[in-house]
Amino acid sequence: MGPLEGLAYGFSIALMPGNVFACFIGVLVGTIVGVLPGIGPVGAMALLLPSTFAMDPATALIMLAGIYYGAMYGGSTTSILVNVPGEAGSVVTLLDGYQMTKKGRAGAALTIAAVGSFFAGTVGVLGIMLAAGWLADVAIRFGPPEYFAITLGGIVLLSRLSGGSILNAFVMVALGLALGTVGMDSISALRRFTFGSVQLAQGIELVPVIMGVYGVAEVLLLAEEGIAKTQIAKVKLRELLPTPEEWRRSTMPIARGSVVGFLTGLVPGPAAVLSTFISYTVEKKMSKTPEKFGTGMIEGVAGPEASNNGATAGAMVPLLSLGIPFSPATAILLGALVVHGLQPGPLMISQRPEVFWGFVASMYLGNLMLLILNLPLVGLFVTVLRLPQHILATLVLLLCLVGAFSLSNSFLDLWVLVIFGVFGYALRKLRVDPSPMVVALVLGPMMEKTLRQALFLTRGSVVDLVARPLSATILILAAAALFAPPLVRLVRGRGFAKPTRLIS
Amino acid sequence: MLARAVPLVLLVAAGVYLTLALRLPFGAAERPGAGFYPVIVAVFALVVALAATASAFRSAPGAEGAAAAKLDATSRRRVVISVVALAAFCLVLPWVGYPASAFAFVAVVLRYLGARWPTALVTGALSSAASYGLFATLLDVPLPRGLW
Repeated sequence: MGPLEGLAYGFSIALMPGNVFACFIGVLVGTIVGVLPGIGPVGAMALLLPSTFAMDPATALIMLAGIYYGAMYGGSTTSILVNVPGEAGSVVTLLDGYQMTKKGRAGAALTIAAVGSFFAGTVGVLGIMLAAGWLADVAIRFGPPEYFAITLGGIVLLSRLSGGSILNAFVMVALGLALGTVGMDSISALRRFTFGSVQLAQGIELVPVIMGVYGVAEVLLLAEEGIAKTQIAKVKLRELLPTPEEWRRSTMPIARGSVVGFLTGLVPGPAAVLSTFISYTVEKKMSKTPEKFGTGMIEGVAGPEASNNGATAGAMVPLLSLGIPFSPATAILLGALVVHGLQPGPLMISQRPEVFWGFVASMYLGNLMLLILNLPLVGLFVTVLRLPQHILATLVLLLCLVGAFSLSNSFLDLWVLVIFGVFGYALRKLRVDPSPMVVALVLGPMMEKTLRQALFLTRGSVVDLVARPLSATILILAAAALFAPPLVRLVRGRGFAKPTRLIS
Repeated sequence: MLARAVPLVLLVAAGVYLTLALRLPFGAAERPGAGFYPVIVAVFALVVALAATASAFRSAPGAEGAAAAKLDATSRRRVVISVVALAAFCLVLPWVGYPASAFAFVAVVLRYLGARWPTALVTGALSSAASYGLFATLLDVPLPRGLW
């Protein structure tokens, strides 16, 4: 199926009433959790995962992904109006966004953010259509050695990019990999590290871990504050229109942000967050007046807000065409598909076209809904911020508890939720990013399986394993990412090279 | 103190994990057994934990740990109560059942987060009933009902 045919077929799936409704619920929930500081899209996706078990796989994917990209729209609202990021992908937006609010241009900032997100979202879907199909065609020839190299390289890159010290990231990776070995060995059916527990033989489930680390932990942070009052700037509807000058200045940043975002999304790492920093740096560099950034430059809102939406789209490509999630959010999407017995990978696009194309078409639809939700109705979502935070926090905790139990009616999952909630809270206090652990927990079992299969194929030769052209390329790239920055620093420190500013 | 204790705990954990992994059948390179990959992971974990310990003992003590201790007493109590309530919920759920556990959980946490008792109790009752209705009745989740 060609892209156009596929898209037409996809719309016939996405426009079925049930799927339109799922898409709407997804983007609505996404916008709300995006607006609410403290509760992010990953926690919300984990919470709603059990409710998708009764749906078609395409419907489940449409709804859960809607939460993910919907949150990127909602997050900017809080950044611009309250000077608090609604979620991590909107941290950069508040630098200039809130300054615009102070100057009375909040409406313009909101509009540019929503339009930029819409543009990037639409470009991103185009990117998925082209890139996923192409990558799937290439990936069909991949064997276990290639998959092993991709998972290993992905984990290394992710650790490098996750921010904070690489040592901390590696500690998280080691923990995630070790947790991934708990339970029944998939090849020999031997029970490992279960200490005789029957429940542990199933392994440590990803979803209660994610609910704990991203749901409970975030609520515990909210709980510190107890009853908190938020100061929200008021926006009048007629102030929403940007001036022609503002439109003109935003056009190129939105276009650049979309591309930067999509490309960042393809790379393992915290794409949505990282892309906003890259886009902000790019805009500042391209600007004739970089010193004005941070005082309410519309370029500083337009670029990053486009890029985080581009990144959520880019992140779908490795998931849909290789079946490999490089972020906690796409790991949940993978989980949602696997529950239905679907294995995302190069064959999914051709074997289950209704899932792939239905999902792609739904993203066009979802972005359109989000544009409407976030512009004329922005005031409605701002009222969400007036909800008493302590009641919200408590109810989210209760939902996490019921949600974790309802996954497989297991009391063990409840304990996993609580333990990882406390652990995630401690990590935030120590400023350690938990996502390398979560991704390693998902990729670990894949890595083990492909490693063992690959060694079996090469008769135990590690050289044959890494010397295949593609494996070698990926591993060299990963090694370069790991060792190049310290080397550059070393060389620069000795004065061998002129200091060139890198994007931080 | 904390900054040095954490890597030491990691080191011990990695050691225990390695010991357990070594007891699994290792196999050979061309036919890796169930213990093959865990041993690799364990060695990686051990190296990382060693590096973390070394870096923690080289840097000045108390530099990083100070940030974690900044919470005032009320905030700390709110977090502790929430965690205790979560654990208590998991403990009593199989015996007391969902409706009562959920009610008590919401009421207690809300009260300690700063709500008044009437608000806390009413919200507890409403949310317990609503979530039970949604999950147990509509979604058929077998939430324990308890002894009554």
